[in-house]
Amino acid sequence: MSSIDKSKFKFVTEKEKEFEEFRPSLTYWQDAWRRLKKNKMSMVGLVGIILIILFAIIGPLFTTMSYSDQINDFKNLSPILTIYEVAPETYVTLTADYSLILVDKKGNLIERLEIFELTDSVITSEERTDLTKVLSPAEQKKRNDEAKKTLIKAYTYNDELIYLDYSGAVDKELDYKYVFTYKGVVTNEKFRTVWNKKYPFGSDNLGRDVLTRVMYGARISLTVAFVASLVNFIIGVTYGAIAGYEGGRVDNVMMRIVDIINSVPLVLIIILLMVLIGNQGLWTIILAIGLVYWVGMARLVRGQILALKEQEFVLAATALGVARKNIITRHLIPNAMGPIIISMTMMIPSAVFTEAFMSFIGLGVSAPMASWGTLANNALSGILSSPYQLFFPASAIAITMLAFNFLGDGLRDALDPRLRKG
Amino acid sequence: MGKYFLKRFAAAILTILLIATITFFMMHSIPGGPFTRERPVPDSIMVRLNEKYHLDDPVFIQYLDYMKGLVTLDLGPSFSIIGKDVIDLIKGGFPTSAKIGLMATVLIIILGIPFGIISALKQNKPIDYFVMFMATLGVTVPSFVIATLIIYVFAGLLGWLPTYGLQNPLGYIGPVVALSGYSLSFVTRLTRSSMLEVLRQDYIRTARANGIKEIVVMGKHAVRNALIPVITYVGPMVAAILTGSFVIERIFALPGMGGYFVESITNRDYTTIMGITVFYAAFYIIMILLVDVAYALVDPRIRFEKGAK
Repeated sequence: MSSIDKSKFKFVTEKEKEFEEFRPSLTYWQDAWRRLKKNKMSMVGLVGIILIILFAIIGPLFTTMSYSDQINDFKNLSPILTIYEVAPETYVTLTADYSLILVDKKGNLIERLEIFELTDSVITSEERTDLTKVLSPAEQKKRNDEAKKTLIKAYTYNDELIYLDYSGAVDKELDYKYVFTYKGVVTNEKFRTVWNKKYPFGSDNLGRDVLTRVMYGARISLTVAFVASLVNFIIGVTYGAIAGYEGGRVDNVMMRIVDIINSVPLVLIIILLMVLIGNQGLWTIILAIGLVYWVGMARLVRGQILALKEQEFVLAATALGVARKNIITRHLIPNAMGPIIISMTMMIPSAVFTEAFMSFIGLGVSAPMASWGTLANNALSGILSSPYQLFFPASAIAITMLAFNFLGDGLRDALDPRLRKG
Repeated sequence: MGKYFLKRFAAAILTILLIATITFFMMHSIPGGPFTRERPVPDSIMVRLNEKYHLDDPVFIQYLDYMKGLVTLDLGPSFSIIGKDVIDLIKGGFPTSAKIGLMATVLIIILGIPFGIISALKQNKPIDYFVMFMATLGVTVPSFVIATLIIYVFAGLLGWLPTYGLQNPLGYIGPVVALSGYSLSFVTRLTRSSMLEVLRQDYIRTARANGIKEIVVMGKHAVRNALIPVITYVGPMVAAILTGSFVIERIFALPGMGGYFVESITNRDYTTIMGITVFYAAFYIIMILLVDVAYALVDPRIRFEKGAK
């Protein structure tokens, strides 16, 4: 008994050692996170959401302009500038509403050129009409008429005039649209196209920076979405948990109320609430959305609680004398957290959507503040000449929706206990 | 079973009345009457106006009048469009809205369901990825953006469609497509996921094991069962399409009900807001009721479960 023969033992090999190791035990949330990480789309969504939030919070710190700064000289500037060289070392760019802006070679904006009033003498100016030939009065008149037809505007630069002509859509051979004439020199080919450095997303019809406005819009849209979801979470979970746990008559009455609210289109209730409270900016719309969308959450939580409260751990807690409030908050709600979180992720994009919708029909935040919906609405009138004003806020909405949808889909798979083995 | 329908019907009527009541008191609790303008109206005119529209009666009498009117479909005169009754506005606008809504619904059903089924049958094949990509795009892009893009590309750049109005039959294309975008995508996704669920069921395997032809298995067993959740969505969807049309009607400048509603909000035209809200709500509730009835007829499990209560 004193000693056992060592030869009776043998060391395990490295391979066997590995076999002996246990898989570390994971909590529900660790496991969910592990599976969420495997889902590429939802990680893309998560990264997208983080980027959008950073864009909203940090973005405005890097821009020089505020969302309400107006520069009247630089209205409706597109994000991509087409530059023409009207004279050596003199470059201009044309906006959608025919403002001529002086720029340098690299496309930095310098100033807007004054528009010169069009008079007959301007239209028939020698600089534009070729007077080397001697023309009969009839020919002269014809030429003048033609000159009148194509001339769009004239601008002053260094006490001389720059004429802007339409190249004439009749001639399909021409691939240029505008003709500039300065000191008798005709320019029609563009010099180059550059990114607008001052306004990377262009400027709107009041000369405000669209990029800055989209950033501030992100703040407002996301604030509405997050706060409304939070309100929705608090009301919905409390309401649903009480109805589900109490059961019986309380449950019956509470759920009938939910049924009634649910049988009216939610957008209508929001509109009515907005009309009732009066449009007092951001908080009105948050309140209206938050007060209406909790119905779905309440139903979901009630269903979860109904199933959970029959389980043994609740019985054990009751037997130990845990107060009802604590059973609900400590035992029931944490166990129903999975579906609640999924519903929250899906709630956020629909709040963004609703807010955009409300702003679009004129019940959103008031000017000069703007959410993505208001930006899209304002861009509507100039859609044909400056489509980029709609493109950026609309893309922001779409990207946000996409990111939250991806994350929500991934979360649904990751938090579903039935798929846990997979 | 008849009792179940009767109960549902009674509940629907009750809900409509309740909503009318709530809307009425909401409108009356708003500070400032419908005739409050930036430039104050002289007192004598105000008294006459209030008299004409019975606004000097006690609120309760006004409420009774309103409810009495509601039963006989008289929703009172519009406050801002002089000489028009709210019911006339609805009668004038609803056909346009309904026509577009109906077309959108038909489009959604004849495109969304087949796309969903195809996508489920070809799961993880290129066609499935393509359909799902389009469907995801459809739920993420707001309808007003789709509408503006249609105007910009097809009406502006290409000139194929008119930019506004319905005089030209081609004018229907833009609003219908913009209106159906979201729900079309949703129905496609819903059909796909429910179809995938059904295809995993044992009875499908049994049917196949019995040697039934694949097309019969799909048509008779799979699709019919897969469509049950889709039916539930379609009812409220019809009503949602009508509310979604506020914006579309404004963008395409259509003479529909949505246009009046948005206008009445900006004008604070209370009777019109009230009338159209009650109308929409009633429409919505009736749609849900119809779906429930259809549902009970299709799926015996529901009928018996509810009937037993």
